[in-house]
Formats: sequence, C-alpha cells, structure tokens
Amino acid sequence: MSESSAVIDLDRLDHTKFKSWPYSQDYCITCGLCASSCPASGIDGFDPRKLIRMISLGLEDAVVESRWPWICTMCAKCENVCPMEIDIADTVRNIRSLRERESVPGILHKGVTAALETGNNLRLPKEDFIFILEDVAEEIAEEPGFEGFRVAIDKKGANILTTIHNKLVNTHTEDLKHWWKIFHAAGEDWTVPSENWEGVSWGYFTGDDDAMKITAERIYGQMQKLEVKNLLWPE
Amino acid sequence: MFEQFGFVTVFDLLIRYIKKGRIKLDRSRFDVMATYHDPCNYGRKAQMRFGHGFFDEPRWILDQCLENWVDLYPNRMDQICCGGGGGTLVNGYDDERIFYARKKIDQIKATGAKMLVVPCHSCHGQFNSIKKQYGLEDLQVKYLWELVADCLIL
Repeated sequence: MSESSAVIDLDRLDHTKFKSWPYSQDYCITCGLCASSCPASGIDGFDPRKLIRMISLGLEDAVVESRWPWICTMCAKCENVCPMEIDIADTVRNIRSLRERESVPGILHKGVTAALETGNNLRLPKEDFIFILEDVAEEIAEEPGFEGFRVAIDKKGANILTTIHNKLVNTHTEDLKHWWKIFHAAGEDWTVPSENWEGVSWGYFTGDDDAMKITAERIYGQMQKLEVKNLLWPE
Repeated sequence: MFEQFGFVTVFDLLIRYIKKGRIKLDRSRFDVMATYHDPCNYGRKAQMRFGHGFFDEPRWILDQCLENWVDLYPNRMDQICCGGGGGTLVNGYDDERIFYARKKIDQIKATGAKMLVVPCHSCHGQFNSIKKQYGLEDLQVKYLWELVADCLIL
C-alpha cells in the first residue's frame, strides 16, 4: 500500500466517485467470502474486500496508486463466490487502466508501446523473426519422421493462421516445435504471418482497451490479407 | 468478422485432429503420475464471461495421452490460480508472485505428480520459475500441446 493512503481525510470521501462504474461495487455486503477465497489475501495487506470497499468509499487516488491491483492476478475466484455478483476482476482491470501509463509496473507498458510501434512486444525486426522461424524449422526437419518439414510463412489461402507468443522467438524457441509438429503430423495447411504475429496483448493486463483493439485489428488484417480461413490464437 | 473467418481454440483443434484420426497418439510414452492445472482464463473466466469453460476438453485430451493422471483438488470453477496470470510474471512484483503460489504448490504436492500439464503460457512460465523455490525441481511442466506432440505416432 502506498503511504498516501495512511492519511485519509474521512470528511473528503466521495462515495459518488465511481458511481458510473458498472461493476456493482456499491452492493458489497462485506461478507468476506472474496477475501477468504483469494489466494493473494494477506500479501502486502491485500484482500479483495478491502479493495472493493475502497472503491465504494471513493478513495480513487489511494486505490490507483496502490500496488494491490497489480498483485491480484484477476483470476476471478473471488467473483465466483461473491453473493452480490460484483465483477471484481473487471474492477481490478479498470483500476489498472487509471494508472499513469509511465507508472505501470514492470515492462508491461513498455511491451504495449513496442507492440504498437513495431507489431510485437520485443521490437523484433521482421528479418530476425523469419530467421528464427526457419532455423527452428530446419532443426525439426532433422528429426526422424519430420523430413522435409518447412514453416509456411505468409502462405496465402491457408486453412489456419497461428499467432506466436513472443517468448517463443526469444528465450523459448524449443517450444515453437510442439504445435508445428502436430500440424505436420495432421497434414494441416497452416501459416504464420511475417508481420503483426504477436499473440500476447499486454493491454489486457494494463487495462489498455485501445491497444488491445489495435493489436486484434492487425491480426484481423493478416487474416484478410492472406485470405486465411481459420484463426488459432493460442495466447 | 465472425462470419468471415472461423476461430479454433487449442482444445477444439487438438480434439478434432484426434477424433478424425489425423494424428495418432501413444499412451504409453510417459510412465509417470501426472496432474492438470486449470488456467483461470480458459476455465473459470471463460465460463463466467462467455458461458463455456474449457474443463472437459483438456481432460479428454489428457486421457488420450496418459494412462496415469489425477485432478488437483479443488479444480474447475474452484481452481486456485497459480499466481502467474494478469501480467505478474513481468510486473516486477516477484516476491509477491512467488508467495502467491504457495496454495497451488500444496495442491500439486498432495498428488505426488511428477508431471504438471498446463495449456497456458503464463501458468507454464510461473511454474517453471517457482518450482525450485518450492522444492519441486524434478516436476516436469508441460504444455498440453507439448504432451500431444510428445505422444505423436508418426
């Protein structure tokens, strides 16, 4: 919890502050089922009931500055047991969206910016991406049963287009092989786009709907451009 | 857009390949006890937001790949999050994320499983990054599709 919340002037509470939010936060009956069910309760003083009460009380600055919404994984276990059906996970995501973008913790917003500017979270140039894919494909082709294996990049009219998780072309290239081997064995007609291949939309985590929309539209654009029939977005 | 293209989930695609006989799997490759972790987004949240949680599908796929696997308890809608979701793997709050996993780890230890199958990149990353701290160095963490690829009869 940030220090600022320790000195709250109760006379200045503005209960109406979040009135426009559609998450039913004001219907909380403070039963504590959420707090009891949450695997993160107790971490840094966090529990979901406290967070929801802060919103009901209008403590906007304190809740947005707090580390709590970023410790929560938005797993919705709390929401599943809430008798008042408060949308706790979405509430957390919307608190996250109120953070100054520069103060979003870790590399999340840097990844979003990179994706918007370059089409992927890593700023990986197209040539390097293609080199990595072909290198991994050559390794597969050396394995028994996969002779002649090739990765189909930008194949027009393919049956399936698959997006790629950035860690699979960074630190975990071995993990590219699993799906590719299955495609090969199944005789699938598949492809990977050489641009806008990023399957990880960190705007989902930072509460950035605009960024999510742009990245989804780009994948849609690849589907149209390559006239692919089905999308597999495993991330 | 939804009329223009089809969308396939990892589960439905694997099931389609198996049921249509496009891939054949060997159930005898892994002679270890395994268990399965329900990711929040494929399971509980998919059920709550879209009216269908992918609970039965991965379990059916596991049955095609393994002789021996057991469920964690609790599971499905009451599953416990691994702690690696929501961007916590890359937001810098590592101590909190590792501590978060303690309940999940207790569940896994209770099964005695030597292999943990997950269909989620975040869960996979989390388990591999924390297993050492919790004394589970030997736990094999596998993507669901990695398990399928490993069992392919070519």
